[in-house]
Order: sequence, then structure tokens, then C-alpha cells
Amino acid sequence: MRDKPARVRLTALVAAVAMLVAGCTGSNQGGGSGPIVIGTSLPLTGQFSQPGGEAKRGYEIWRDKVNGTGGLLGRQIDLRVTDDASNQDTIIADYTKLITQDRVDLLLGSFSSLLNYAASAVAERNQMLYVEPAGGAPNMFTRGFKMLFFTQPATAPHHADGITAWVKSLPEAQRPKTAAFITQDDPFTRPAIDSLQKQLEEAGLRTTYTTIYPANTTNFQPIAGAIAAGAPDLVAQGAQFEDGIGAVRALQQVGFSPKVLFQTNAPGNGNQYSDGVGKAATEGVFYSTSWSENAKTPLNDEFAQEYRKRFNAPPTEDAADAFAAGQVLQEAVTKVGRIDQVALADWLRGNEVQTILGRLRWAANGEPQGNFMLAQWQAGKVEVVAPKEAATTEKVVFPKPAWP
Amino acid sequence: MTQALQTIALGLLIGGVYALMAAGLTLVFGIMNIVNVAQGAFLVLIAMLTWKAWQLTGLDPILLALATTPLMFGLGWLLYRLVVVRVRGTTPAMSMLLTFGIALTIEGLLNLTAGNYFRSATPSYFAQSFHIGSIVLPKAQVYGCLAALLVLGLLYLVLNRTWTGRAIRATAQNPSGAALVGISASSVAALSFAIGTATAGTGGSILSVLYPFFPASHYEWIARLLGIIVLGGMGSLRGAWVGAIILGLAETITATYGSPRWATLVFYAVILLVLLVRPHGLFGTRLREDVAT
Repeated sequence: MRDKPARVRLTALVAAVAMLVAGCTGSNQGGGSGPIVIGTSLPLTGQFSQPGGEAKRGYEIWRDKVNGTGGLLGRQIDLRVTDDASNQDTIIADYTKLITQDRVDLLLGSFSSLLNYAASAVAERNQMLYVEPAGGAPNMFTRGFKMLFFTQPATAPHHADGITAWVKSLPEAQRPKTAAFITQDDPFTRPAIDSLQKQLEEAGLRTTYTTIYPANTTNFQPIAGAIAAGAPDLVAQGAQFEDGIGAVRALQQVGFSPKVLFQTNAPGNGNQYSDGVGKAATEGVFYSTSWSENAKTPLNDEFAQEYRKRFNAPPTEDAADAFAAGQVLQEAVTKVGRIDQVALADWLRGNEVQTILGRLRWAANGEPQGNFMLAQWQAGKVEVVAPKEAATTEKVVFPKPAWP
Repeated sequence: MTQALQTIALGLLIGGVYALMAAGLTLVFGIMNIVNVAQGAFLVLIAMLTWKAWQLTGLDPILLALATTPLMFGLGWLLYRLVVVRVRGTTPAMSMLLTFGIALTIEGLLNLTAGNYFRSATPSYFAQSFHIGSIVLPKAQVYGCLAALLVLGLLYLVLNRTWTGRAIRATAQNPSGAALVGISASSVAALSFAIGTATAGTGGSILSVLYPFFPASHYEWIARLLGIIVLGGMGSLRGAWVGAIILGLAETITATYGSPRWATLVFYAVILLVLLVRPHGLFGTRLREDVAT
């Protein structure tokens, strides 16, 4: 009888040692010939599950592409995706576990500024390179981080530069004179719209109405009514998705159609957007995009075809951004020739990387130094209208036709 | 003046739909002491089914409630008989855990089968409005509110004018008394749960037209519905009505005259104030008795 507790204690000890040993063998500091383990935590459920799911698709296409062509440094990639449920606390726990327990070799970032803000801090503390396909809020880059790199062309305050440039390119007489600005209370869309308002006011437009609404807003009629009261020529909305659809519907319901309608993200969701607002109502809607299916960048066709083949749907911007993040990581590792987190970060700071989004380069704080493209819905399809070298059409629908 | 009328009209239209969605929740709590946090998931489930049926057949999504409501009645009855009955008589915490589990299961199944996409049904009238003078009433909202009122009216009639309704109310007021006069507690419970979930049938079909939704939307809806019934008094149908109207008005009035950012806050501030003065909510004092008044 008396030896039982002792045996239990012994078992526990053996188990602990076993775990310790397993932990040690699991650790992989860049040497060896087994697979390279890349860890990420994505919002596969909850508020951001839609872009999160797309990011997973993009990462997986990238992984299979690399593994099919000889791997990274000659080793296969083992991608570990965990689900953070769109929760900041969970994502902190996830990345901590990936780094300290799973001892992954490399990290890839998550989706939304909200989640990347927390996750990138974990990576920075552990001196792990953090390449993120989303997370362009300006306050991501004011923290003096050395390991963070954002793999879209620009950050939020420059998101809407394209529409300003287009407005300025119009002859004085045709330019919109007044504008209304509404945005979701979101770390990405708010600075994008704030900056656009500032730019357009400097260009001489008068602001008739501004408001900020919370993420869970579902009823847009009061906002649409207030916009209609000022009858602005241009309406700009910092819209993630649902809110973009809600606002277009409500504007239709109150019977107000502006000459120019710009939304930050929502119209980039392809069929989901046109199904939500009705195909005819998409005509002439502008938005900014980091990626175009028609762009002639290397591997872009291959990515788009693979996406269509696997998921039987048109490829999305979020998946393309994730694929590009993978490309950036791959290029750095290949060029540096070993997995040394600090060396990888230094290399990225000093070099340009070609991705399916175009060439990307970064400032010292990891902030990308490029420009978004200006896209517009035309005849039920998405066309890139600016900049010229990326444009898929010379036509710009202006003024936007009245609602159907 | 026009703006004020417009704001109030919109608030009432939205409130009517909220009332229907909250009615099932409060009914089930009033009769069975079960907080059914899966009600939001039921709404989203039905919204998804309605959307699919609308896509395939082109039938009007709100009229599809004629099919989805009996469907949810059946599903509610089955769920009660198979699962919920096991937590009957235990603490409310158990029933919350169980129904939360049901909600997660529905969300997961929807993710797997329908995919993690936003959907919304867009029948021809979805972006049109009725114009009364200078007041704009969106057609979808008007039809949705009418359908909600119709179902709430039927619910009232069933509870007050039929023997079944009397049995339900009797069980709510005094379970042992009801049992003594020959009312079977278990079939009344199954029936009440089924009726409660059936309201999510109509509610879900209406939701599919009014708002974009995706599998995880149910968190947002259950939060709203719980707020409504806490404000109105848990278990009181009249309370659900009043709570829903207050939420609808708070949302539109704050958004029009203040900022939409304050809309949610104002509603919860109202709840807080009401609970300070009336801890049982507006109509919740006679918790068990006034289920159907």
C-alpha cells in the first residue's frame, strides 16, 4: 500500500523527464534536415473568420508550391495553423506556445490589425521575425519594432491615396465639391478615412458629414439619412464588409446616390459583395486593393489558377496577401541562406522582394513603401483603373450611375 | 420634425423584429427557467437555410417563414426530447452551458457545410422603400416587421385562447398544481421549447433579408436578445416587446442625433439604470406569472 504514492510520484517524474526530452528534440534552431516548421495563428472562427479562412488558403497554396519545387533551403515546410477565434488573448497564448513550446523555426502573421498588434509584440519579445499579410494600422509601426514586416504595398493612412490622386486628376469643373466620410471604428479603416478626409479637404472639397460607427452596427438607415441630408458629391466609407453592404443598401433605401462612392475594403470581396448589394448597384463603386487577378506579376497566374482549382471560386485579395507574405519569408530565407531571425530582418530592411502583389520594400520600422491600386466595379466585374502601369482598363465610370 | 418622425418610424420597425426574436427566448426562460443561448445560432441557421432556399427556388425569403417556422418547431421539439430534457431541473448554468454547446455545434456545422461567407438574400424589393410624405420606410423592414407582428399575435392567441396555452401558463405559474389537474409537465415543456425555437424560424427568415450574416454572426444577435429580455424582465413577453422597442429606438435616435458609436452604449446604460431601480427588469417582478400578458 505504502509504495503506491511513491510509484505515482515516480511515474510523474518519468513523464516530466520524457516531456522535457521531447521538448529538447523538438527544438530546432535552424539546423538539421527535417522539415522547417512555420507557425501561425489565424482567426478561423469569430469576427475575422472570413479573412482568416482566406489567409489559410493563401498560406497553404504557398506551402504546397514551395514543397513541390524542392522546399525551403532544401527542406520541406511544415505549416502549423492554430485558431485564435478572433481573440487578442488567445492569439497571444497561441504565438507564445508556438515559439516557446513548439519551437517553430519561423512565424507567419495573422489577419487584422487588432490581432497582429498583439501577436507581433510576442514575436518581438522573443526576437522572432514577424512577416504579416495584414495589419496596416499606423500604430503597428510606432512601437520601434525591429522584427515586424507588413507585406502589403502601404499602410492605412496611404490606403486611399489612389482616390485622392484620381479626384485631383479631374478637370476643375468636374471635380466633386463636397464629401461625406463615414468609417467603422477599426484600427485600419479609421486612419485610412481620416487621412482621405484630410487629403480631400486640402484639395478643396467641403465636408458635409462625418461619423464613426461601431463594428457591430447593423442599421445604417439613420447614417444614410444624415448623408443624404447634405447631398455630397462624394461618399467615402471605411468599410470592412458587412457595414459596406449595409451602407449601400441604406443609401438605396433612402434614395440617395452620390456621384462618387469609395469604400476601403468591402468591394474587394468579389461575389460576396455583389451578391450583398445586388450586382447592378456595384456599378462605379471605387475601392483600394493590394492585388489584382489580372496583374502580370510573376506567379500571379499560377496562384489564381491554383486557387480556382482548389476552391472553385474566384481568388480573393486576402488569400493573395497571405501568399505574398509567404513569398517574402521565402525570399529572405533563401537569400540569407540560413534561419537566423535577426539576419533575416536585416536583409528585409535592405532589399526589395518581388511578390504577386508587385515589388515590396520596407522602411526601418517594417512599414511598406508602395502604393495601393485604385479599383472600380464596372459591368459586374472588378477593373484596376490606376496606376497606369497596373490598369486593366482606361475607362473610369464617372459619375456613378443612379441606383438601379 | 420629419427627421424625428423618420427616426421613430425606423426605430419601431426594427424594434418589431427584435421583439419577435426575443419572444422565444423569454418564453422558454419564463416557463422552463432555461436561458437558451442557442437562440442566436437558431436565427443564423434559419437565415442560412432561407438564403439557400431563396437561391434555389427564388421564393420570397420572408414568405419562406411559412416553412422554416414549422421546421424550427420540429427541431426544437426534438432537441428538447433528446438533449435539453436532461438538464431540466438542474441549475440555469447547466442549461446555458448546454445551449452554448448547441450554438457552437451549429456554428461549426454551418462553417463546414455553407462555408465561412457573408450571405444575404436580396429579393427585388430589398433596397426599395415606401414613401409616406417625406418619410422613407424600407420595404424589407416593413414586411419583416409585419411578419413579426403576425407571429407575435398568433403566439398571444395560442397562449391566451387555447387549452394548450392555458396548460403552458398553468405550468409556468405552478408546476405541481398543474400536474395535479392532469397536465403533463414534460409534454408542456417540450411544447414550450418548440414554440420558443419556432419564433427563431420566422426571425431567421426575416434576418436573411435585413442583414448580411455568416456563421459567427450569432454572438452579436444573442448579445442583443439577452439585453432585450434582461431590460424587459426575463420571462415576460410584454417585457420583450418593450425592451425590443427601446433597443430599436435607442439605436436609431442615438445614431441620428448623437453618433452611432453611442447607440450600443445608450442601450446598455438604459439597462443599467432600469436594473438599479427594478432589479427584475421592467416587467419581471412577477417573474413566473405574467409570461403571457
